[in-house]
Amino acid sequence: MDLQKMMDLPGALAAFTYADKGDLQSHVLREGTELTPQVLDLLARSCVANLAIAGMEARGWEALTGQSGFQPIKGFSVVGLEWSVVVNGNCGVVVRNRDADYEATFNALQA
Amino acid sequence: MHIVKQLMAIPGVIAAGEYAYRGDRFSYQGALTDEFARMASILCRANTLSVNMQAEILDSFSESCGCRPVQGWIVRGAQVTVCAVGNYFSFIENRDDLLNDVMTIMRAKVGDVQDDLLVNLYARLGGDTKEALY
Repeated sequence: MDLQKMMDLPGALAAFTYADKGDLQSHVLREGTELTPQVLDLLARSCVANLAIAGMEARGWEALTGQSGFQPIKGFSVVGLEWSVVVNGNCGVVVRNRDADYEATFNALQA
Repeated sequence: MHIVKQLMAIPGVIAAGEYAYRGDRFSYQGALTDEFARMASILCRANTLSVNMQAEILDSFSESCGCRPVQGWIVRGAQVTVCAVGNYFSFIENRDDLLNDVMTIMRAKVGDVQDDLLVNLYARLGGDTKEALY
């Protein structure tokens, strides 16, 4: 995943990749942001957990309701007060809320 | 116009609803049954609690890092996306620009979620906000 390309997304403050268990592998931070590698590392771990939970919920929802279209999970985002983190697979992007284009960010992470 | 009604007026929105923090009171419109709406409310409450807990941990490592209070979350499925902002949720189709429109409306209509989400949610029920919530 080209992190520099991810940083071109609207409002991007940081882009990062992580291992399957959540260890931060690489990252790029926008100059001046208050985010730190330590925060990104924790963020990556929470993202792995959230993607796993979302996968479980999607599977259970489809089985219980008979509805489809939830699986496979194509990404997860937590919307904070000032920024959102958007993740899919082993890559994540932190975007400033006021500039965020969630659609474009999810699409970029699926590419 | 009420948030749920406004969301349901948008083509591609499958269902939308509002839930109480306990997850046992809810209202909704759209393609859900009462039982599915109840399940969705419980699911949304659980995920909201979870991401708030995670944000508290993040905040302890970097004060005022910009994540708290959490405003909501999004799960992107293959053809359907679930959005939650505050105590409102919506199930939407994956159509071009729909996610951005729905998030813009939900954020604008719900407003900034206050520092203590659970107290904020519970206050809407008129209950005792001092009660242990976890």
